[in-house]
Amino acid sequence: MAATVIAMPRLGMTMEEGTVVEWPLPIGAPVSKGQTVLVIETEKTEAEIEATASGVFRHIYVEPGETVACGTLCGAISDTADEAFDADAFAAAHAPPESAHPKVPTFETGAGASAKAAAPLSDDDRSGKRPVAPAARALARELELDVDAIPGSGPGGRVTKQDVAAHAAARERLVSVAPGIALEVLRAGDGDPVLLMPGFGADASAFAPQSAELSVDYSLIAVNPRGVGLSDAPDQQRYEIPQAAHDAAALLDRPSHVIGASLGAAVALELALQHADKIRSLTLITPFVRASPRLLAVIEAWCRIAERDDPKTLAAFLAPWLFGDGLLADEVARRRTLQGLAAMSARTPAAGLRRWAAGIAVWSGTREDSLATIRIPTLCIVAGRDLLTPDSTRIAAAIPDSRTQEIADAGHGVTIEAADAVTAAIRAHLNRS
Amino acid sequence: MELDRELLIGAYRKMRTIRAFEEKLGELVTTGKLGGFMHLYVGEEAVAVGVCSHLDDGDAVASTHRGHGHCIAKGVDVAGMMAELFGRATGLCKGKGGSMHIADVEKGMLGANGIVGAGIPLATGAALSAKLKRTGGVSVAFFGDGASNQGAFHESLNMAAIWKLPAVYVVENNGFGEFTPTEFVVPVKDIAVRAASFGMKSLIADGMDFFDVYAKAGEAIAFARSGEGPVLLECKTYRFAGHFVGDPLVYRSKQEAEEWIQTRDPLPLFEARVTEAGLVEADELREIDREVALKLAAAAQAADEAPFPDLAELTTDVYFEEPRS
Amino acid sequence: MSRELSLGQAVNEALQIAMETDPDVILMGEDVAGGGDRTGDDVDEMGGVLGTTRGLVKAFPDRVLDTPISEMGILGAAVGAAITGMRPVVELMFMDFIGTCLDPLLNQAAKFRYMFGGKVRVPLTVRTVTGAGMQAAAQHSQSLYWLTAGIPGLKTVIPSNPIDAKGLLLAAIRDDNPVVFCEAKMVLGSIAEVPAGDYEIPIGEAALVREGGDVSLIGMGATVPMCRSAAEQLARDGIQADVLDLRSIQPLDEEAILATLEKTGSVVVVDEATPRSSVASDIAALCVDRGFDFLNTPVKRISAPHCPVPFSRPLEQAYIPSIDRIVETVRGLA
Repeated sequence: MAATVIAMPRLGMTMEEGTVVEWPLPIGAPVSKGQTVLVIETEKTEAEIEATASGVFRHIYVEPGETVACGTLCGAISDTADEAFDADAFAAAHAPPESAHPKVPTFETGAGASAKAAAPLSDDDRSGKRPVAPAARALARELELDVDAIPGSGPGGRVTKQDVAAHAAARERLVSVAPGIALEVLRAGDGDPVLLMPGFGADASAFAPQSAELSVDYSLIAVNPRGVGLSDAPDQQRYEIPQAAHDAAALLDRPSHVIGASLGAAVALELALQHADKIRSLTLITPFVRASPRLLAVIEAWCRIAERDDPKTLAAFLAPWLFGDGLLADEVARRRTLQGLAAMSARTPAAGLRRWAAGIAVWSGTREDSLATIRIPTLCIVAGRDLLTPDSTRIAAAIPDSRTQEIADAGHGVTIEAADAVTAAIRAHLNRS
Repeated sequence: MELDRELLIGAYRKMRTIRAFEEKLGELVTTGKLGGFMHLYVGEEAVAVGVCSHLDDGDAVASTHRGHGHCIAKGVDVAGMMAELFGRATGLCKGKGGSMHIADVEKGMLGANGIVGAGIPLATGAALSAKLKRTGGVSVAFFGDGASNQGAFHESLNMAAIWKLPAVYVVENNGFGEFTPTEFVVPVKDIAVRAASFGMKSLIADGMDFFDVYAKAGEAIAFARSGEGPVLLECKTYRFAGHFVGDPLVYRSKQEAEEWIQTRDPLPLFEARVTEAGLVEADELREIDREVALKLAAAAQAADEAPFPDLAELTTDVYFEEPRS
Repeated sequence: MSRELSLGQAVNEALQIAMETDPDVILMGEDVAGGGDRTGDDVDEMGGVLGTTRGLVKAFPDRVLDTPISEMGILGAAVGAAITGMRPVVELMFMDFIGTCLDPLLNQAAKFRYMFGGKVRVPLTVRTVTGAGMQAAAQHSQSLYWLTAGIPGLKTVIPSNPIDAKGLLLAAIRDDNPVVFCEAKMVLGSIAEVPAGDYEIPIGEAALVREGGDVSLIGMGATVPMCRSAAEQLARDGIQADVLDLRSIQPLDEEAILATLEKTGSVVVVDEATPRSSVASDIAALCVDRGFDFLNTPVKRISAPHCPVPFSRPLEQAYIPSIDRIVETVRGLA
């Protein structure tokens, strides 16, 4: 049974609950994605909530006048009118999250927020509660944050004052892109807007080498997609690439340069196809339109290791798939890169990886024929030692106004392995557009 | 006898005051009106008065837990003492010291003391001051037979001897150290012999006889004041009351006590001597008795009506805090 | 004008100035002049077991008094002299000996002012040597300042360097309360540029001798130089430490302690004494009681172990808090 949730959204960071004001559609009415399906009221404002999928408006769980916590199931849209819809079973399957905030971070469920990886609970933790420094509690109270939702970087997983401060700062980076969905956005610099989207299992920090230089001349917008970093991780079967493009589009208020790496490049392609008016130029770094069997296999292994093993093991596994001999042979660079990979994996929990993997599988192969319709100046940066996306080179050929830049001695993780070359290529492309 | 009338009357008044004061206190404690530990000087009045008759405000006295007699003999205000025992704000120590810590340092009364033997080094220090400052003053330490076994006793007398301090150490041998008779804990019959180990002069007086105490104390004090060195003066006396008020006194023979009380009371003995010598009439002494009784009753009344210390006084006077000029 | 003096020499200078400016100041103690008759050709004054009071009996012949070995008598006499016009500075040769003379301090000097209703002052100073580090073994190496600090009516101070030693001792002598002045063995020989002339350091004021924002190292006496050295090592790793020199144990500068806690959220107290009922525990309780919401890490106490001071050199070195222990403790906070 396929049905879509209509839930009380969390608009902004401090909203805890909302009141249902009106259901504008009658039960049984057809619904288009994007159509207003619910009107709510918060203490700050009245808001129209759009349907996130097309179908038939099927069931109301929360009547007008009732106030419920954010995330509560309010209504349902079924795919078709005549399919059976078991309201109770659907409600049970989509019980609201236990709290409006992410759970205690473990390797499987939550999102890491602070710069250091959150430590697992130690034997010291007798009561089963996480240790929280009094200064951390006091600051959390002052900032009206739920200290239980903040990961701890202190000994034994203790939440320190620094953890609370970092969490608060990070939450300021959350931007609402869809009803109930806020993504973590990191901004830097001044100038024409440049959107940066990272690849599978990566977060915005993958672009760190580029951002230092580019932020001098451009206003950089690096976005962590659903399930990555502090971004919301809604409980969906899969994270759809087209949906990710809509998420990203919501961040752009004027035509922007768009840069995506790997999965991020796939989202960039979707953006080009669905929101062309918002794009000035397109840079695709090691892109794919059809995921190779090897890519899918690596992704599968990636998910399994992320679920069962520790970040260092995952990093050790990934390094040879992502980088060329040059980096792997350089002791210092390799060690530094492994540390970075391990740290990044703390910000890309396994649940999100699974959902993106499912999204990639569904999207793969569906856009090969659409490439020709893209009318945006495009740069494809491909890596000579890339093991994972062999069809990168063919993508530029299919896009009319495009060119290719090959970086010979680098692997799939080219933004890190050949940072300067990538930056130079991007800069040149942005200048042209 | 060579003592003049005025001195004798003054001495009697003091002794009677001590007796009446202590008896009143005994009564107040036994009836539950006053609390705390009280140690009465009854029977030993001749020692305090006999010694202190030779002293003035420039001389220092250190006392014991049984210190009311020394305070009164040294001229400390009786009403202030009474109010202190009642624990009132008008007490000599603002109600914060109590029976064992009554002091009037300005009058040279360095305090009663709750620690056995503690007054001995204090008096030694006061004698050191007197010597260094050349005041001509002497310092008298009153202490009991029990205290003469304290290390502080030996250390102090040793130092006083080597430095030739103007100190007189008056051991009031009243037959008991708390609940233990002296002979059980002091191996010598006369404590005065201990002075010999310091090369110190010593004297023994009959503590129940004011005149003997006065004569021997006079000699000792003059000797010390002259700079010749310290003196140990042993006064043989008897403690009429118990160690403290409420002491069941099971450890001493009632017969023995009765004998002392009936035949060796210093006040009747004094009265007999002075009236026989025709120096003072019995009537005069009765008059003094009445005056003293009235004065004490008034003091007790005033004390009872006086306010208790403010609670804020609890934490004051821990340190001296005024700015130095 | 400053000259390089050791802490012991700074103490000597303070005594000299005190005696010059107040004729009531006298020194009493075992061997403070040092050695009975000093008139022979081939004898000279000791000036105390560690030489601290050398030269003073010559300058003030009637006011530096060698006493017999009679701590109870000496301290008691000093108290008696103090309440009858003198301003005695009595030496308790090693603080360990307080066992033989606790009463004059505990029950007499500390309590007279209070018991006598505020009518007397006890301007007594007790100079005493504390701490381990000289292999003086169990009965000559204890740090018992927590004991006197806990007695109401007494003040207790402990300088960490010659400059503070001189100023604190002058303040102690001129204070009209009984003050215990601790000379920690391990800093007695430390050298500093000590200003000449008469100056006082206020009792009850701690000194922030180093500033940093990451952690607060709180020390007293001999542990202050250890904290400074530890701070230097930590700085190389990018950890900046506040170092607070208590200087005064009672009165304790609570505000200074809370201020550094507020700044860093991380307090490490380094106390040479043993752990039970210690000054370090007092400070830790203060932090939790009045600075709870500033605590970002547990308050760590570095102290000697709960055992007597050992004789053997490596054991004694393990007994004393060390720079390494401080550094390790700070690293373990992260």
